[in-house]
Amino acid sequence: MSTRWDSIRFTVNGQPRTVHAPPMKRLLDVLREDLHLTGTKEGCGEGECGSCSVRMNGELVNSCLVPVLQAEGAQIQTVEGLAPDLDSGGALHPLQEAFLHCGGAQCGICTPGMLMAAAQLIERHPHPSQAEIREGLAGNLCRCTGFARIFASVVAAATHAAPEQEPDAR
Amino acid sequence: MRGDPEAHELIAPGNLAAVLQLLAAEPGAWTPIAGGTELMVAHAAGRLTARKLVSLWEIPDLRFIRVDEGTIAIGAGVPFIDLRRNAAIAAQLPLLARAASWLGSIANQSRATLGGNLVNGSPAADSSPALLAYDAQVELISARGRRTLPYEKFHTGYKRTALAPDELLLAVHLPRRFARHRQYLRKVGTRRAMAIAKVALAGTALVEENVVRELRLGAASVAPYPTRLYRTEEAILGNSITEETIRTARRALLAEIAPIDDIRSVAEYRRRVAANLVEEFLRELMHSAAPVDAPLMNAALAAWNSADESTALTQMLACCGARRWASAMVAMRPVQDQEALLAVADRIWAAMEEPDWREAFACHPRIGERKAAHASAPPSAQKSAQWSRQEQSGAAQAEARVLEELARGNAQYEERFGFTYIVCATGKSAEEMLDLLNRRLGSDRATELREAAEQQRQITEIRLRKWMAA
Ligand SMILES: Cc1cc2nc3c(=O)[nH]c(=O)nc-3n(C[C@H](O)[C@H](O)[C@H](O)COP(=O)(O)OP(=O)(O)OC[C@H]3O[C@@H](n4cnc5c(N)ncnc54)[C@H](O)[C@@H]3O)c2cc1C
Ligand code: FES
Ligand code: FES
Repeated sequence: MSTRWDSIRFTVNGQPRTVHAPPMKRLLDVLREDLHLTGTKEGCGEGECGSCSVRMNGELVNSCLVPVLQAEGAQIQTVEGLAPDLDSGGALHPLQEAFLHCGGAQCGICTPGMLMAAAQLIERHPHPSQAEIREGLAGNLCRCTGFARIFASVVAAATHAAPEQEPDAR
Repeated sequence: MRGDPEAHELIAPGNLAAVLQLLAAEPGAWTPIAGGTELMVAHAAGRLTARKLVSLWEIPDLRFIRVDEGTIAIGAGVPFIDLRRNAAIAAQLPLLARAASWLGSIANQSRATLGGNLVNGSPAADSSPALLAYDAQVELISARGRRTLPYEKFHTGYKRTALAPDELLLAVHLPRRFARHRQYLRKVGTRRAMAIAKVALAGTALVEENVVRELRLGAASVAPYPTRLYRTEEAILGNSITEETIRTARRALLAEIAPIDDIRSVAEYRRRVAANLVEEFLRELMHSAAPVDAPLMNAALAAWNSADESTALTQMLACCGARRWASAMVAMRPVQDQEALLAVADRIWAAMEEPDWREAFACHPRIGERKAAHASAPPSAQKSAQWSRQEQSGAAQAEARVLEELARGNAQYEERFGFTYIVCATGKSAEEMLDLLNRRLGSDRATELREAAEQQRQITEIRLRKWMAA
C-alpha cells in the first residue's frame, strides 16, 4: 500500500525520515501512525487545543493542521526530541523537570503540547514575563491543572535553564 | 465526519510560475492552500469540497516584506508571525502588527497567512480593518498578468472576492504615509487569544485644529464582509470633534451597518459595541487635538533624512546601541517631525526583544564609573560616552562613600541579573540612583529586564531630543 504514494522526506528530532503517505495526511497522524512517535497527542483536531503542537523549522505549529506534504524538507521537533537520550540514561529537559516538580502535568494529555509551546517560548524569550507566558501558552488548553501550575513550571524552568553570561562589551 | 486524506490530491510545485500555469490550464479545478488553517479545519470536519489542492506554502515569491520608498509590500504568503516580528511594520503599520498578534495563538500565527486571511473572506478577518484604515491595495496575479485594486473593492459578497478562478493574491501594498495620523484598533471578542472578533474597528485620522481632515474607518463583523464605513466617515469629516459630532457619527454608523445574529454574538450587541468603538476613537482624537501649525522641519532631522545610510545609522546608534532598532529607524526615513520621530522610536523599541535590549544596555558605562570611550571607538560610541557623562553629572558630585556603594551595588546587580544596571540618570543624584539600584535588586529577573528596557526607552528619548536640539 505504501508504494502508492511518493516519498516525503523530513527530519524528525535530528533524524532524517522518509514516509510514504497521502500528501493530505495530517503531520499529526504521520508522526503517530507512520513514525510511532505517539508523544504528540490529538485533542480537537482543528487547531483549537494545542495538544498536537510540534516545532517545524523553529516555529510552533499545530500538527493536526499541517498536510504532511508541506513538511517536506522541514526540521521537526516533537516532545520526544526534548530529551533525546532518555532511553540511554540521559536527563529530562529542564522544562520536563520543572513540570514534574511543580505539578505542571496531571492527566498528561495536554502536556506534550504545553512542553513544546513552552520550549518555543523560552527560546524566543529566555526570561519570559507573565504576559509572555500567557501569550505563549494561550493556544494550549488544559482541563486538569487550572494552568497556574503550568505557568509556575515555565517560570521555574526559565529561572534555572538560562544561566546568564554576558561578555563585558565595554 | 472526519475527512479522508486519500480523497484529496495535493501537490507542491514550489514556485509561483508553476502554480500559475496549473491554474491557467484548468481554471477552477485547483484550490490553493497556504497555511491551511482554514482549509485543514474544513478537512478535519469532512467539509473540504476541493479535490485538487496546490500548495503555496513557503513559495519565496509569496513570502516577502519589502519596504519601498512610498509603500510597504507584503507577500500574500507571509504568515502573521513574520508580520508581528517585522520592525518596519511595527513602526509604520502598528495596527497591522497588533492585529497579527491577536490572531489565534502563536501556533496559529506561524502558519496562518495574510493572503489566506483575506481570500478566505470571513467578515471577522483580523487583518481586514487595519488594511482598510491604511488604504491598502491588493495585487492579483495570473498567467495572464497582474492587476492591482483597492482592498476595499476586493470583497464582493459573503466569502466572495474579486479573484478570478485562475488568479492568486500576490501581495498587499500599504502606503507609508500614516506616521502623522492618529490610529485606533480594537477587537472585541470573548478572550484575547483564540477568539474570533464579535466586532472590530480600525481607524486612521488626520486632525488639524481639532477638525478631522482625513479619516478612514474599517470594520469587521458588522456586514457580510469587512468594510469601510463610508457614511460614518462622511458624517465626521470636516467637522470639529464635539459631543454633537459624536452623536451624529453614532447615528450614521447605526444606519450604515447590518450585523447579524450568529454563534458568537447577536446583532443588537454588535450594533451597540460598534457605535461605542467609533465614539471611543473620536474621544481619543478630541483629547489629542494636534499642534496648530506644522512646525518647520527640524534641521538635524532634515539632515538625517537625507544623510547616507551609515551616517544615519551612526547617529541613531549614539542614541540607543541596539543595532536592530537603529537599522529600523533608518529604514523609516523620511520622518516628518520631532513628534513622529519619538513615536516611531517608541514603536520600534516595543517590537524589540531581549537580545536587542541587552545590546543597548551594554553600551552604557556603569553608573558612577567614569570611563571615557576609547579614542579608537566608533563615532557613535564617542557621542554616546559624551552624553553619558552629561546624564550622569549627578554622580560626578557624589561623595566617595556613595560611589563605593554604587560600585558594590553594580557588581551585585550584574552578578544577579547578568547585565549592567541602567537607569535614566538625567536629573538624578547619585543617592537617588543608589536607592533605585537597591530597590531594583529585589525584583525578579523578568520584571527587572522590563524595567531596564523602560529606562533605556527614556534615555533614548532624551538623547533623541538633545540630538534634534543640537
Ligand atoms: C484555532 C484557530 C484560530 C483562528 N483565529 C483567528 C483569528 O483570531 N482571527 C482571524 O482572522 N482568523 C483566525 N483563524 C482563521 C485563519 O487562521 C486565518 O484566516 C488565516 O489567515 C488563514 O490563512 P491560511 O494561510 O492558513 O489559509 P488557508 O487555509 O491555506 O487558505 C484559506 C483560503 O484562502 C485561499 N488562499 C490562500 N492564499 C491564497 C492566495 N495567495 N491567493 C488566492 N487564494 C489563496 C485558499 O484557497 C482558501 O480558500 C483561526 C483559525 C484557527 C484554526
Ligand atoms: S489537536 Fe491540533 S490543536 Fe487540537
Ligand atoms: S493535565 Fe490533563 S489536560 Fe492538562
